[in-house]
Amino acid sequence: MSTSQNERYDLRGLELARLIKIAFLGKYVPMGNFRGGPGARCLVVLGTLHYLGYPLYLLLARYGHRFQLLRRIAGKLRG
Amino acid sequence: MAFTTYYSLQSLIAAGRRKAGDKEVISFDLFDTLLVRRIHDPDLVKLPVARYIADLAGRQGLSWNWRQVQRRRDAIEQRHRAETGTKFVDHEACYPRFIGELLGEIFQSSFDEALLDKVTDYELAMENRMLVPRQLLVDWIKELAQVGKRIFIISDMYMPATHLRLMVRHAGLDELVEEVVSSADSFLAKASGKAYPMMAEKYGLRPAAWLHVGDNPFSDGLRAEEAGMEAMIVHDPGEDQRKSIGKRYYNYSDGRPFWRGRLLQQLMAPLEAENQPRSLLYSEGYNFLGPLIGVFVQQIAKFCREKEITKVFFLSREGWTFKRYWEKALPLLNPVGDLPDTEYLYVSRMALAGASCAYQGLTKTNADIAFLPSGNRDFRDVCRIFGLDPDRFVSHLAPYGLKADTCLSHIHEGYNPENRQNFDALLDDRAFQDEVKRQTQAANEAMQRYFSQAGLFDHKNVAIVDIGWLGTIQRFLFEAIAHRADCPTCFGLLFGATRGIPYPESDKNTITGIMYDRNRFDLAASTLYYAQDLFEEACRAPHPTLNGYRLTEAGFELEFRQTEDEIGRAELAQDGYFAPLQQGIIDSAEKFGAAAALLGYGFDDLKPWVNYLLVCKLAFPRAKEVSRIRHRHHLDDFHGSKKPKADFGRGMVPLWSQSPSQLKFNPLLRMRCFFSHLRRIINE
Repeated sequence: MSTSQNERYDLRGLELARLIKIAFLGKYVPMGNFRGGPGARCLVVLGTLHYLGYPLYLLLARYGHRFQLLRRIAGKLRG
Repeated sequence: MAFTTYYSLQSLIAAGRRKAGDKEVISFDLFDTLLVRRIHDPDLVKLPVARYIADLAGRQGLSWNWRQVQRRRDAIEQRHRAETGTKFVDHEACYPRFIGELLGEIFQSSFDEALLDKVTDYELAMENRMLVPRQLLVDWIKELAQVGKRIFIISDMYMPATHLRLMVRHAGLDELVEEVVSSADSFLAKASGKAYPMMAEKYGLRPAAWLHVGDNPFSDGLRAEEAGMEAMIVHDPGEDQRKSIGKRYYNYSDGRPFWRGRLLQQLMAPLEAENQPRSLLYSEGYNFLGPLIGVFVQQIAKFCREKEITKVFFLSREGWTFKRYWEKALPLLNPVGDLPDTEYLYVSRMALAGASCAYQGLTKTNADIAFLPSGNRDFRDVCRIFGLDPDRFVSHLAPYGLKADTCLSHIHEGYNPENRQNFDALLDDRAFQDEVKRQTQAANEAMQRYFSQAGLFDHKNVAIVDIGWLGTIQRFLFEAIAHRADCPTCFGLLFGATRGIPYPESDKNTITGIMYDRNRFDLAASTLYYAQDLFEEACRAPHPTLNGYRLTEAGFELEFRQTEDEIGRAELAQDGYFAPLQQGIIDSAEKFGAAAALLGYGFDDLKPWVNYLLVCKLAFPRAKEVSRIRHRHHLDDFHGSKKPKADFGRGMVPLWSQSPSQLKFNPLLRMRCFFSHLRRIINE
């Protein structure tokens, strides 16, 4: 017994870790047309959000207001 | 700020229970507090509505595309907000007013209240599909209502309270709530704090005895405190995480088509009370097979529009699931209602095989099809399949040196190629063919009566939908009705077309594989070959297969296979085992329809993800997945009971037939099977 969407907001049986594995395999073995595939950067960001998202957002919710200075600096760096 | 922020619903409700003791009134914010959205951006719900309005306009010959509609809606809404701002502190807008103005502008003299109602109904239907009540809060509200607290819902929203009430009803809270208050009615919002005194006066509420719960620290927290009430704010990091994930999938899908299907599934995913622990088979149906069938039926609808098909016949038994999926998913995808009629048609290869011989006799290709299954060996098997009596052919067989038991299949002991040549010569014998036609006439007549009743001959173009694979059912079906002047043009739409035997295509009879078609190279989709039976069993209707059509005085009778024998009982056991899987498929249908309508994605957008699903689940499955979703029993009504030669079928064991230990511990097994499959597909 399990839920169709897990506690990391990932799909049961189609977890991101599995996608990363297939995407890695697809780099070396022809697997079919994935129209560009998932992209490494997208996988890193989504992996972070799925697996570490909750503690990160908990920190942001509780102490996010203290990061205003950092955000301003990051904003200036981005231009 | 005096109000308290809580970082989980559990802590909010625990504190709320303590605070609510001495309060008379508890009010809740609606959006992002009581109801959460599946999507990160609420404005996305407006897009399918814009598409709907553009479609309606197009049907009246008005040239509006959905982007123009959306731009006008935004402009009119903005103007309404600015006008409100001149008279009130809050810059609010009211949906019926601005959408009415938009529709009046687009449809001019043909605009009426009925049109406004249609558009409103669709927008509310889309909103309702995208909103999910937070179960813990719902349970708490039930507790509060039981102890006699007055419950209010307050929202700063362009929808008036009458519309919000429908959403609250959809969430199952209608009976518990005294009143739903929207800023669209009074233009007094929580944002300015004006809504609170207005409510206190209108409903006789004492601020000191009033607790407000919301998610916005400003309008639900600060403004409520200013009005003399106690406020509780919820800031759930889990919700932030969920929305952030959805937002990333949405943004990535713009530049990388691969993510479009994943985004669609993220919107389909069950939330809150929907996301109950269930059998793992349910998840396989919901997350894997459901979306595949969704893409399939969506493409069928598109094909029907292009080819002006007016009726879709879903063939038994897999068509049972396709038709149910269609009925649940497509109304939201096609709100204009230009869908063809649908019908579930009771057919089977066995039932149609005999009927197909009534006018053309037994063709060589059809006889070859009979010898495809390894259990079929001789003329008796041909007779079993085509509903013929072998004893009445003795005199026809003898001149060709054949008997009913002469081996005609090369994979069985005793095969002599000369016998097969003689059998082919027999097929050219007019007397033999006349006997075949005579014996199959009644079945064909009964079949035609049934098809007439089902309306097959009332349409010029019809779609014949089946799972696959060779198109044998449609082949027999068309051959059985081809002699009729009112025979429709049959567009066969198969889930997968493997085309093991070339299909006799003509202007009036074609087949197309939607998910996979051997006529176009598609490596990922070709992994359907790995587990074709899985799709058949997952979609199969819970009724026995059709054995034939029997002519009666009143018309016809459908003859179903008995369920009391061993095979019948095995099928019933399989039905029971796959029941959660089928439930998962059907439960995903409505969610698929809503998500696909919201995103506006079609087959081409979703195909890369579909390809991934097929490769991942069929070519690189987990050992447990194979043992879970591999069927327990599978009936092939064509298959005889004869044993082929001992060396038949020796060679590499297919991945889905491997033992659990091989699947679990052999690290290169999947790769070896995939390379073998790759070689086969390239050499096809």
